[in-house]
Amino acid sequence: MLRLGIVACAAAALVLAEGFTFNVGGPVASQDYQAKGARFVFRTQGCAEPAKPQVSGTAEGLVKGARQSVALKVLALTKPGVYAVYQNWPAEGQWVVNLKGTCADASAGALVPIGPKGFIRESSKFFPRAATSAEIETSLKGLAEGEKK
Amino acid sequence: MVHLSDREISAEIIEACRLGDRDAFRALYDAYKDRVYSISLYFFHGDPAAASDVSQQVFLKLMTRIGQFRGDAGFSTWLYRLVVNACMDAARRSKPDVTLSEEFSKPGSPEEDYARAQMANSVRAAVSALPPRFRIAVLLRYFEDLSYEQMAEALDCSMGTVASRLSRGHKILAERLQGLMGAKK
Amino acid sequence: MFTSHISGQLAAYIDGGLAPRKARQAELHMEQCASCRVECDQVRFGIAVLENLPLVEAPDGVWASIEVAFEESRPRQTPVVGQWRVVFAVSVVLALVVVAYWVAARPAGMRWEVVRLEGSPTVGAKPIRGAGQVGSGDWIETDGRSSATVKVGEIGSVEVEPNTRVRVVAMRPSEHRFALLRGEIRAKISAPPRLFFVDTASGTAVDLGCEYALNTDEDGFGMLRVTKGWVSFQFKGLESLIPAGASCRTRPRAGPGIPYFDDAPENLKQALERLAFEKAGNEALDIILDEARVRDTLTLWHLLSRVEAEDRGRVYDRMAALTPVPARVSREQALRLDHETLERWKEELAWTW
Repeated sequence: MLRLGIVACAAAALVLAEGFTFNVGGPVASQDYQAKGARFVFRTQGCAEPAKPQVSGTAEGLVKGARQSVALKVLALTKPGVYAVYQNWPAEGQWVVNLKGTCADASAGALVPIGPKGFIRESSKFFPRAATSAEIETSLKGLAEGEKK
Repeated sequence: MVHLSDREISAEIIEACRLGDRDAFRALYDAYKDRVYSISLYFFHGDPAAASDVSQQVFLKLMTRIGQFRGDAGFSTWLYRLVVNACMDAARRSKPDVTLSEEFSKPGSPEEDYARAQMANSVRAAVSALPPRFRIAVLLRYFEDLSYEQMAEALDCSMGTVASRLSRGHKILAERLQGLMGAKK
Repeated sequence: MFTSHISGQLAAYIDGGLAPRKARQAELHMEQCASCRVECDQVRFGIAVLENLPLVEAPDGVWASIEVAFEESRPRQTPVVGQWRVVFAVSVVLALVVVAYWVAARPAGMRWEVVRLEGSPTVGAKPIRGAGQVGSGDWIETDGRSSATVKVGEIGSVEVEPNTRVRVVAMRPSEHRFALLRGEIRAKISAPPRLFFVDTASGTAVDLGCEYALNTDEDGFGMLRVTKGWVSFQFKGLESLIPAGASCRTRPRAGPGIPYFDDAPENLKQALERLAFEKAGNEALDIILDEARVRDTLTLWHLLSRVEAEDRGRVYDRMAALTPVPARVSREQALRLDHETLERWKEELAWTW
């Protein structure tokens, strides 16, 4: 019982007081020339050991009305906990990058809409868990409607 | 056929080489060939012709001078002294402006290895851009597990100079490969 | 105790090559010296990246040529004359093999390829039709209807736009350098940073991993616009960092202006021009601070070190209102333009640019 308690405390200790989240930025945020060709970069925050979080993601798209999902091409950069996302999804259609991460027992998620000049910061959304399917669909619809205007 | 573990060069092998035993010499060659070739290859900007040339010179000299080697202790040091001299002599003779070999600049990695290939290419380019004295010290340290005393002998300088060249060489690599230098946490 | 910096000892410290007493002294020094701690991290990183260099297998040809020589060095019973004939023949063959191998694989010499895109660009005053070559010291010139592209070693390419005169200054693995006299070039560079440079009358653009367009007129007035990555523009100790989506004016004898995002409010851009080059003063600064958005902290960060000391507090306060100041950035240190403090702040701000 004591051991379980110690393990639980150790796991909790990995997650800092401000909580585990994603943060996204342009390639310059990484200060790593390898990210030059990336669509955007992201980092995790609030995990006591930056190299420890498990991150994954997909690019979710709407191409001519049909839904597509592509596994994300992500490069871990030199600075621990900082990653670059390269476009490996089709140029046409609307696309949103769906990021998921875990740090011990904590989770985080982010939806990052993609625009012609990289990513759309103002429309990016961050969650204390993975984004739901409904949230992904809403984000894609918002992108499609924005393009029609 | 004589079989050697990665680092074992016994007095018997060396004595056999002195007596012209081809198998012993082949075993010696097999034990060191890839490291000698790799150091030469990265030293000469990925030029396989220059690397083959230098590797050949080193082993030919080894063959003709093995009679002068006094004992099995320090054999690696002695061998790498030949490598350092061959590389630095060739660098002094070659034209100062050398482009990276096309071998290294070819894309051609599969999509899944894209990032790894980019990184390897960048590291090679950064190593190529080091001044020759730093480049040989960095490559020698990386490919061979010599002590600073042994490296000093191979590089024909003091241990303090070895430390200084390695510190400066690695720092230059870091500067080239880390992008903008921000304050370290 | 090491009272002076220990830069030269760092590799030995990391490798365990220092005697225990000296290693302990190094540790104690680094507890007090941030600069040596930073350098130690750099050396560690430089050591770690070498893991990307694989061991390469020596080709079979190396042993083949050694074996021939080995066989020839062994004692033989053959008559002396016959023996020397064989040695001579083998030596000739060996020499031919080595020469052929070397000729086939040696670098082509220090020339870069230039390809005509339109019209009749010239290299060294000679027009090129399809493709030509440029060497160190050569000028490349285009008129109003011509353009060309230069393959810059193994690191990228430069497009030379119409009405441009540009010279190749250096062609080394550690330095690929152009001098732009007038006109415009567009660079696409894929290499570690600080290998590609372009000199102009108003300063030097230092590639940090990017694509950009740089134009200048013969008096040195110009503009640097970055489309990918980021560029540093430097002149006599003054440096501007320009990321993708941003631009920076340059002027002779003044160097780089203050960078701004291309989508910044027009009022901000105009006020910046007046402040940077016409020393416009308070009115221009008021407009910049009023109009600045979160991502315009790029501009404000550069402004900190370019405005008068009495105005720095206003710039700092506006930046603090736009985005949280990191815990390790103190107002006092920032206003004193402490280098480490400003660098730390820039690292965080870059996530909003």
